[in-house]
Amino acid sequence: MSAYVSYRPLASAEVALLEQQGCRVESGDWSQVQVAEGFQAACVHATRFGGSVRIGALGGHTGGGEPQPAEIRNARLVDCTLGHQVRVVNVGVRLARYDIGDGASIEDVGTLETRDGAKFGNGVAVEVLNEGGGREVILFDQLSSQFAHLLCLHRYRPEVITALEQMARTAAHRAHVPRGRIGAGAQVRSVVEILDVHIGPAAVIRGAISLCNGSVLSCPESSTFVGPGVQAHDFIIAEGARVDGGAMLAKSFVGQGSRVGRQFSAEGTLFFANCEAFHGEACSVFAGPYTVTHHKGSLLIAGLFSFYNAGSGTNQSNHMYKLGPVHEGRLERGSKTGSFSYMMWPCRVGPFSVVLGKHTRTFDTSDFPFSHIEAMPDGRCSLIPGFNLTTVGTVRDGAKWPTRDRRLGAVKRDRLVFDVLSPYTVGRMLRGMDILQDFQQKTDRSVSAVAIQGAEVKRVFLRTGQKFYRRGALMYLADKIVQRLEAAIAAGETDLSRALRTPEGAVFCEQWVDVGGLIAPAQRLETVLAEVQRGEVADIPALEARWDQILQHYAGDEWAWIKWAYQRLTGVDVAQATSEQLRGVADQLLINRKEFLEAVLVDAVKEFDQLSAVGFGTDGQPEAAALDFAAVRGDYDGNKFVIQLRAEIEALTARVEQFKNHFVS
Amino acid sequence: MSDIADRIKRVTAETLKVDLSRVTDSSRFVEDLGASSMESVELVAAFEEEFDIDMDEQAALGVKTVGDAVVFIERIVSV
Repeated sequence: MSAYVSYRPLASAEVALLEQQGCRVESGDWSQVQVAEGFQAACVHATRFGGSVRIGALGGHTGGGEPQPAEIRNARLVDCTLGHQVRVVNVGVRLARYDIGDGASIEDVGTLETRDGAKFGNGVAVEVLNEGGGREVILFDQLSSQFAHLLCLHRYRPEVITALEQMARTAAHRAHVPRGRIGAGAQVRSVVEILDVHIGPAAVIRGAISLCNGSVLSCPESSTFVGPGVQAHDFIIAEGARVDGGAMLAKSFVGQGSRVGRQFSAEGTLFFANCEAFHGEACSVFAGPYTVTHHKGSLLIAGLFSFYNAGSGTNQSNHMYKLGPVHEGRLERGSKTGSFSYMMWPCRVGPFSVVLGKHTRTFDTSDFPFSHIEAMPDGRCSLIPGFNLTTVGTVRDGAKWPTRDRRLGAVKRDRLVFDVLSPYTVGRMLRGMDILQDFQQKTDRSVSAVAIQGAEVKRVFLRTGQKFYRRGALMYLADKIVQRLEAAIAAGETDLSRALRTPEGAVFCEQWVDVGGLIAPAQRLETVLAEVQRGEVADIPALEARWDQILQHYAGDEWAWIKWAYQRLTGVDVAQATSEQLRGVADQLLINRKEFLEAVLVDAVKEFDQLSAVGFGTDGQPEAAALDFAAVRGDYDGNKFVIQLRAEIEALTARVEQFKNHFVS
Repeated sequence: MSDIADRIKRVTAETLKVDLSRVTDSSRFVEDLGASSMESVELVAAFEEEFDIDMDEQAALGVKTVGDAVVFIERIVSV
């Protein structure tokens, strides 16, 4: 709505025209209706006015979507302020207690009303992760995955939780206003009932059944869509999100750029940036950024996920008919669950792992990232550590996430680090290597398998897992060291040792954490928690600024960790490395990265082998099957991904040679 | 038949849980003996342990038959 608009009473000629056009004022006092410069009484028909109503200019066109004539017709307006060029048509019951922005359009709506004590979804406590309660996250418009992560998961620090809850309540309280808002250019059409809902600028609400106690945040750069059949109460839907297809939301948050639809139902669930949820159900789920569940019959319950993909029929259970639904589980970033996979909580799955089968026993594989986790016939967990590191899926996932960020607005509330290999995941590899080595040393060859944190690991995989992890870690570390020196060389730096120094302000910490998609040294998180506890960070803007700072320091902190990790793994202090040692780093990059890429290519071959062609062709003729397969799937050598990987191997060889030439003794 | 071939067949039968009589030189690990991706990796690991060798994993996973595996491993062991 235009600021500082001045309104005037209606002229008697205008009142006469309005009455002639079927309008009336319920109090009988037309002075309760005021208008701004540009108001045209000719554009108002068959409308009842109640309470105090103010109307802006009419006669032009609305601003959102396809421009419509700005007019008021067949409506009942009660205690509303309409900006300029607003369209209100066919509002059957009432449009009450709303401030409506310029160019907004409201058409074919039953009730659109703000009631006494409206809170617009702000302040709703969501029983996330643990359905039995105890980890409630309070909704407010500025909720970020980082804030929710702290509030949900750091319950062992009650003073911090109290402070965070206070911040959340204060932020939520700001949204508790007596009149709802419909932002400039918003479109609300064919909706049965909207009660106590803020609707942001440029939002489109079309065909929803019932929206109650919520906020639809939106901005022109990142418009939010709420579509047909949606029923939602106690919710916040953030900018750029799309909720449609008969989705049902109860006490839930839908983050920026997320999609919820095709009859999905969510209760007590937080979806953060760029999630996709179709067909299935989520209950008490902390769906971190890029949580994806697309298929019917998938139930996510009482779990923490991020950068996750659910196969069809994925399912978990969180109680055993004893003390109620009190169990919870965590799949760390990048994990996947296969079709009809089942886990009986509590379980914990390390990053970038694949879970297959029906698991009826508790396990914790958090020290073994990139693992293959499969249920044995008796429901126990079989673990192959590091097996998933070189799968095609992992490599493709890492490349696709950054390109699929649908958050188009200036404010991206969830701070994300997309890196697949990072101190967080590679640190886990180092820990996993230590554990596997320890088990290998103490396990006799007559033993076929060992149990580690509830998972069974075949003895031969103790050695293989170390090999996978060592290769992954060396590939990452050597690549980062070479990249840093390459950048220094390209910048004309003559003293390359400067490039290898730890930047000022960087923090070294052996352990790293994933705070709702933001990867950071544990020490930085601890500093924030301590500041919150001491009251030095006392409001949402201050806390969010701390996340920005942590993200800004990521590269420096990562470098400090890389130097430490490389020395731990190879014994070489890279800051003091000789030319020969730096050439050795480049060789490590070439060997390990090449092996890695070749292993991924071997995995890709499986997609084109004889067994993959089963089902092709129509009548079992081998020639027809081969031709059908080639027509639909193409061939290995012509596959885009394969070509890309081969090109990378070629480029890597040239890159390493070029790098080594700078360090000729 | 060489000692290496016998050991390879025994390890194959144990790892893939198939009858030793089914494991012949011409047996294909995937199509004939039913090795899954994971079992293929397990086989490589089991061969490495059996012969105390380090194999190029990509090359090893490219080996299709038991007979080819014998040739592959004999070459490494003889070095």
